[in-house]
Amino acid sequence: MFETVLRRFGGTRHAIGRFLIVCMVVGFLALLAAGVAAVLTVVRTERHTEMVNHTYVVKLAIDRARTLVEQGETARRGYLLTGDKAYRDNYVIAARVTPREIDRINDLTADNPNQVRNIGNLRMLVSDLIEQRERTIADTDAGRRDAAIATFTAEKNARRMFRIREILSRMSAEESRLLTIRNGEQRAGINAFYVTLSVAALLLLVVATFSLATVLQYTRDLNASQERLRDFADSLEEQVAERTAELTRANEEVQRFAYIVSHDLRSPLVNVMGFTAELESATATIRDLIDRVDAAAPGVATEDDRLAAREDLPEAIGFIRTSTQKMDRLINAILKLSREGRRTIMPDRLDIAAMGRTIRASVQHLLDERGAEMIVEDPVPAIVNDRLAVEQILSNVIENAIKYLSPDRPGRIVLRGHVEGSRAIFDIEDNGRGIAPSDHTRIFDLFRRSGQQDQPGEGIGLAHVRALAYRLGGTIDVESELGTGSTFRITLPLTYVDPQSGQPANKENEKP
Amino acid sequence: MNDHRSVSIVMIEDDEGHARLIEKNIRRAGILNDIMHFTDGTTALDYLFNHKDGPALNGPALVLLDLNLPDMSGTDILAKIKAEGALKRTPVVVLTTTDDKVEIQRCYDLGCNVYITKPVNYESFAQAIRQLGLFLSVIQVPDIESD
Repeated sequence: MFETVLRRFGGTRHAIGRFLIVCMVVGFLALLAAGVAAVLTVVRTERHTEMVNHTYVVKLAIDRARTLVEQGETARRGYLLTGDKAYRDNYVIAARVTPREIDRINDLTADNPNQVRNIGNLRMLVSDLIEQRERTIADTDAGRRDAAIATFTAEKNARRMFRIREILSRMSAEESRLLTIRNGEQRAGINAFYVTLSVAALLLLVVATFSLATVLQYTRDLNASQERLRDFADSLEEQVAERTAELTRANEEVQRFAYIVSHDLRSPLVNVMGFTAELESATATIRDLIDRVDAAAPGVATEDDRLAAREDLPEAIGFIRTSTQKMDRLINAILKLSREGRRTIMPDRLDIAAMGRTIRASVQHLLDERGAEMIVEDPVPAIVNDRLAVEQILSNVIENAIKYLSPDRPGRIVLRGHVEGSRAIFDIEDNGRGIAPSDHTRIFDLFRRSGQQDQPGEGIGLAHVRALAYRLGGTIDVESELGTGSTFRITLPLTYVDPQSGQPANKENEKP
Repeated sequence: MNDHRSVSIVMIEDDEGHARLIEKNIRRAGILNDIMHFTDGTTALDYLFNHKDGPALNGPALVLLDLNLPDMSGTDILAKIKAEGALKRTPVVVLTTTDDKVEIQRCYDLGCNVYITKPVNYESFAQAIRQLGLFLSVIQVPDIESD
C-alpha cells in the first residue's frame, strides 16, 4: 500500500519529501481541528452549565415565592382565628418579602416571554391578594373579626390562592422544560466534541502511520543505496589500483620493447653502414680504374661506365648514408626515451623559481640573439621530485618556446606556477608563432612536429617531455592559438609518489 | 699472438654481416690467425669442447662473443667456457651492441676478459675492431692444459 503511494509519488527523494510535508500538514490540521473543537465545546459546556445553574436559581426563587405566599397565608389565617400578635408579625414579614421575591424572579426570567407573561399575572394576583389580606388584617386589628372572616371566605370563593399556586407550578414546569432542553443540548455538544476528537485522532493515527512507513521505507532505501555506494567505492578503489598496476606493467613492457627494438634495429644498421663504407672505398677503387683506363686506352670505358663510377654510385651511397644516419638518430632517440623510463627517480626538494632562473641563464645567449626576454615569476610552488627530470622538462619546453618565437614581435616567455590541491601547476607561456589546434596532441608524439619546418630537430623533445612528466606522476598539455602564442601547462604532484609502493617520497630518506 | 703455436680465433656472431665486417677489420689490423665463425651457440659450444680441432682438444684459442644469439644467450656460453675445465683460462672478448650496465657487470662477474660495445657509426666500429686486432696481436694466450 505504501509502495503504491510511494510509486504514485514517483518514489524520488523530492516526491517523498513532498509526501511527508503533506502528511505533516494534514496531521497538524487534524490537531488544530481537535483543539478548536475542544475549546468550542468547553465554552459551550460552560454556557450550558451557566444556563442550567440559572434555571435552578429560577426554580429556587419560584419555590421561595410559593413558600412565602403560603407562609403569609398561614400567618394571616392564624391571626384571623386567634388574634395572636405573633401571627401578625409573621405575616408582615412574609407580606413585605413576597413582592421582592417576585421582582427577583422577574429579573431572572426577563429573557423568557412565557415567564414574563406568568409573572405579570402572578404579580397582579399577589397584589390583589395582599390588598385583600391587608384589609382582613386591618379589620382584625379593629376588632371586626367577623368582617375579616367574611372577606376571607369571599376571597376563598375567588379561588385566588389556587390560581397563584397554578401559575407558580406552571413557571416551575417551564423551568423544568428549559432544563431538559439545556441538558440535551449540553450532551449533544459533548457528543460532538467526542466525535471531532475521534475523527482527529483517527486522522492523526493514519497520517502518523503513513509518515512513519514512508520514513522507514525511505531510510531502508537510503541505507541500501549507501551500502551499494560503499561497495561501489570499494570496488572502484580496487579497480583503480588494478588499472594503475596494469598501466605500470604496460609502461614497463613498452620500455622493454623500445629497448629491445632499438638494440635489434642497431644490428642491421651496423651492417648497412659498414657495407656502405666498404662500397664507398670500392667505388673509389673503380673510379681510379676508370681514370687509369681512360688515360691508357681511351674508348674502352663507355660513357655509362664513367657515369656509373663517377656519379651514380657516389649518389646512391650518399643517399644510403644520410638515410642510415637519420635512422641512427631516431633509434638513439627511442633508446634515450626507454633509458629515461628505466632511470631511478631520486626525489629531492626543488625550488622551481631558482631552477627557472638557472635555465634562463643557460639560454640567455639564445634570448639575446632573438631579442627576447624571459620572466620567472616568484613565488612559484616548490615540489619534491626528481631534479634531473624536472630540469629536462622545463628546459625542453623553454628551449622550444625560444626556438619557435615569432619574428614579428619581441619575444616574451613567462614561467609561473600555482598549487591546486595536491598538485603543482606550472605554465610556460610564450607569444610565439603558436600551434594549430589539430596539432595540439600530435606534437607530443615521437618524431612528429608542427608548423613550418625551419628549425633543426627530430620531433623528440616533447615526446621525451611527456614521457618524463608521466614518469613523475604528472601530465603536460598545451593551449595555443596559431599566430598568438602557446601556453604549456605542466602538472606535477607536490610530492612524488612511488607507483610501486604507493608511498610519497620522503626526501630526508632519499637524500644521504 | 703466441708465435710458436697458432692461436685460432673463435667468433660467435649470429649476424653474417657483422662477422664479415669484424673479420675484414681484424685482417686490416694485420692479424692473420685462423678465424672460425659460428652463427649459433650450440654449434659453437660443440666445436669449443668436442671438435678434434677445437681449442679444448687442440691448442689455445681466443673467443669473440656476441651476446644476442638466436638459440641461447651469450652469457650462457661465457659461463660454460669460464666454468671449471680445459677452457677456463681462454680469453673471451665480448663484442656486442648491448651497453646495459647490468649486462656488462654480469659478464665481468662471469669472467669475461674484455667487454666492447659495437659502435653504430661505421668509422668508429672499424676503428674499434682494428684497435682490437692490434690488442689481440700483443696479448698472451695461455696454453691448454692437456692433462
